[in-house]
Amino acid sequence: MSIDWITVAAQIANFLVLVWLLKRFLYRPILDGIDAREQQITERMSEAARIRAAAAAAAADHKAQIEKLQAVRESVIEEVRAAAKAERDALLVEARERLTQEQLAWQQERLEEARRYRADLQHTGVAALLSLTRKALDDLSGETLEERIVARATSRLLAMTDDLAAAAGDSREVVVTTREPLPQQLRKQLESQLVAALPDIGVQFLTDPDQSPGLLLRLGAAQLGWTVAKYIDGLQTMLDDMSRANKNTDAL
Amino acid sequence: MNLTPDDIIVFSVGGVALNATIVSTWIVMALLTGGSMLITRNLRPEVPPDRWRTTLETIVLTIQGQIDEISALPDRRLLYFVGTLFLFIVMSNALMVVPGYRPPTASLSTTVALALLVLLAVPIFGIGSRGVRGYLRSYLEPNIIMLPFNIIGEASRGISLAVRLYGNVMSGAVIAAILLGIAPIFFPVVMDMLGLLTGVIQAYIFAILATVYISSATAASQVAKEQS
Repeated sequence: MSIDWITVAAQIANFLVLVWLLKRFLYRPILDGIDAREQQITERMSEAARIRAAAAAAAADHKAQIEKLQAVRESVIEEVRAAAKAERDALLVEARERLTQEQLAWQQERLEEARRYRADLQHTGVAALLSLTRKALDDLSGETLEERIVARATSRLLAMTDDLAAAAGDSREVVVTTREPLPQQLRKQLESQLVAALPDIGVQFLTDPDQSPGLLLRLGAAQLGWTVAKYIDGLQTMLDDMSRANKNTDAL
Repeated sequence: MNLTPDDIIVFSVGGVALNATIVSTWIVMALLTGGSMLITRNLRPEVPPDRWRTTLETIVLTIQGQIDEISALPDRRLLYFVGTLFLFIVMSNALMVVPGYRPPTASLSTTVALALLVLLAVPIFGIGSRGVRGYLRSYLEPNIIMLPFNIIGEASRGISLAVRLYGNVMSGAVIAAILLGIAPIFFPVVMDMLGLLTGVIQAYIFAILATVYISSATAASQVAKEQS
C-alpha cells in the first residue's frame, strides 16, 4: 500500500477535467432542460389559469345573460298570457253576445212564425167557420149569412129606435161597414128599415177588408155590430187552449 | 499479485509510464462523457424526453435532492463537484464486473486524490460562502484553544475518506481475485455482485460525507446553527 504522488496529481487533474466535462455535457444540459421545461410548464399553467379565469368569467357572464333572458322570458310570457286571457275574454264576450243575438233573433223568428201560424190558422179557421156557416144556412134555410145578419140587425133596430135617436144626436148619417159589398137587395132592405126608424137620415155603405165578416153600424157616437169577431175570438181561445194542452203533454 | 493498479504499467508514451489506474480513469471518463453527450445531444424543450434522458434526469435530480437535504444553501457548483464524485466512483466500481478491469478506486493514489480534492473543496466553498475571514474564524471556534484540534479534524476527515474508499474497493477486488483462483465459477460471481453493492454504497457514503464537510463550512451551516 503506497501512494504514487504522480498518479495522485494525474487523478486530481483527471477528476477536474471530468468535472468540467460532465458540467458541459451532463449537468448543464440536463438542468437547463429541466428549468426550460419547468418554465414551459409554469407558462402553460399560467396560460391555463388565465384561460380558466376567462372561462369562469365567460361562464358567469353567460349565467347572468341566461338569468336575464329568463327574467325577460317570464315577463314576456306573463304579457302574452295576459294578452291571450284578454283576447279569450273578448272572444267569449263576443261569442256570448252573438249567441244572445242569435237566440233573440231565433226567438223573434219563432214568435213571428208562431204568430204567422196563428194568423194562418185563424184565417183558415175563420174561412172554414164562415164556409160551414154559409153552407149550413144555405142547406138548412136557403139563406145567406149576410141575409140573416141584415134580418137580425133590422129586427134589433126596430127595438132600439129610441136609443138610436138619442145616440145620433145631431148626426144625420148612418155608416154601414161590411167586409164585402152587400147585395143591392140587402142594402135597400137595410136602408128602408133605418129610414123608417130614423127619418131624415142618410145611409152610406162602405167596405173594409180587414173587418170581421158581419155588419157594423155607426151613428154619431154610437156603434152597433153584428159580426163573427166574437166567435172568431172564441175559436182563437179554443185553439190556444189546445196548443197549450199539447205543449204540456209534450213536456210530460 | 498486485494489490494496487498503480503498479500495473499498461503502456508508455514518450517515456512516461501510464499505469492501470490512469487508463481505467480515462475509460471511466470516456464512458461518462460519451454517454452524457449521446443522451443530451438532442436536448430541446420541445422534444419529449426519452427513457435515457429520463434516467439521466432522475439520476441528476436524485443527487440534487440528496444535496438539498443536507445543505441549507443549494449550489449548482456543489452539484457539479459532488455529483461527479458519486458518478465517477459508482462507474469505477461498477466496471469491476468486467474481466481484467482494475477499478481506479482500488488505488490509494486515486482515493487520496479524491480526498485531497474534498479537503480543498471545503475551504474553497467555505471562503466562497463566508469570505476568507469568516472561514478562518471557524477554526477558532468555540475558542482559540480548539485551533489545533480543528486542523487535525479537517485532516483526519480527508484521511478517513481516502482510506475508507480505498480499503473497501481494494479489499473487494483482491478478495474477488483470490476467490477466482480458488473457486473460479461460483464465488467470483457472488463477490462481484457484492462488490457492485459495496461500490454503490461506498460512492454514496463518499459523496454524502463530502457534501456534509463542504456544507459545514458554508454560511448556510452557520445560519442554521445560529437559528438552532
